[in-house]
Amino acid sequence: MIKARLRKQLWSTEGEMDLNVELSIEKGTFVTLYGPSGAGKTSILRMLAGLLPPDSGKIEVEGQTWFDSGQKTSLAPQKRKLGFLFQDYALFPNMTVRQNLEFALSKGQKSTIIEELLEVMQLTAMADRKPELLSGGQKQRVALARALVPQPGVLLLDEPLSALDGDMRSRLQGFILEAHQRFHLTTILVSHDVGEILKLSDHMLTLFEGKIIKSGKPAEIFSNHEVSGKFQFTGEILDITQQDFIFVISVLIGRNLIKVVADESDTRNLNIGDKVLVASKAFNPIIQKL
Amino acid sequence: MNVLSGKISSVTPSGELSLVKIDCAGVMISAIVIDTPDTAPYLKADRTIKLLFKETEVIIGKGHEHQISLQNRLDGEITHIQQGELLSKVTIAARPGPVTSIITTNAVRQLGLAAGTEASALIKTNEIMLAE
Repeated sequence: MIKARLRKQLWSTEGEMDLNVELSIEKGTFVTLYGPSGAGKTSILRMLAGLLPPDSGKIEVEGQTWFDSGQKTSLAPQKRKLGFLFQDYALFPNMTVRQNLEFALSKGQKSTIIEELLEVMQLTAMADRKPELLSGGQKQRVALARALVPQPGVLLLDEPLSALDGDMRSRLQGFILEAHQRFHLTTILVSHDVGEILKLSDHMLTLFEGKIIKSGKPAEIFSNHEVSGKFQFTGEILDITQQDFIFVISVLIGRNLIKVVADESDTRNLNIGDKVLVASKAFNPIIQKL
Repeated sequence: MNVLSGKISSVTPSGELSLVKIDCAGVMISAIVIDTPDTAPYLKADRTIKLLFKETEVIIGKGHEHQISLQNRLDGEITHIQQGELLSKVTIAARPGPVTSIITTNAVRQLGLAAGTEASALIKTNEIMLAE
């Protein structure tokens, strides 16, 4: 369980902002922070990690106090049991994959975790290579594995996949989810990608100008109205074509392109690039084994 | 998408499914949904609810006397027909509001449908979605 009360005066491009949030995250949940740039998402992660001191507040993780402005206590970043993964991999270029992981071992820690992580992240075959010989996705897997070496209870992910292309991104999401479940992590992700959020997170917090304005299940937050249809997806409009009075709308859902026939009245407010809810009754789809 | 508004008159749950009867301006419409009052708290009598169904799922019957299994029937006069090469859009002035149907242009010709024709819009129970 992570309990945090954080206040911090921040200066963004929009000017001064008062970040003021309260978090209560159950152990083992996958939570996403969502919101426009400058809303305070990264600052929250940095405060949890001990890289940015809050002006006031308290951070408690599994009953242990990490920060308390009242008591003037602040645990050093290296003493907070968490892993942090950013968009850039920050691997040591002069070390092999294995050495990069070993570097993160704490004193007296058994090195068996290294083999386990190499295997889970499917890095065993490239364990003796230097990072420069790896692809972006492989480097990010090494960085993820390294963040997990100290066996943290909490994993913080700050848009870790935004530099990767679609296919690689989707594979890495799978690795993140696997790590989250296998190591019983409490994971906090910062992401803008609706598909990614829906795929990974149990819960989502929407931030705006330093405040949490929405909290709930991602699928509920992204669907504008509650519809009873059980065949529901959110996606992005890629194309709209018209045939007589019928419109065919192409929607990208995850990595699948689907088409929806719509009437003029439905299409009036829709533009290419819009996020949309696609819903049907569960009675309509057919299902076939592949 | 057709959107009608109505008031729930009864909910009959069975397993995961519920049959919901809705009073739409005096016309009884039933919808079957994979939800029960436990999973969807809005499923209770007297709640105002929206009924959503696609134009392409609306069947048109000419006249009002049909021996047919469909229970959901909205009668009215056809107000206009927009004809395309393959498909046509037929709008009926039903009591709860206008209902639009997209059927083949062949069907429009065969039935001899035109503005002013009395017709029924028929919708299968499992094609109606509910929304708050």
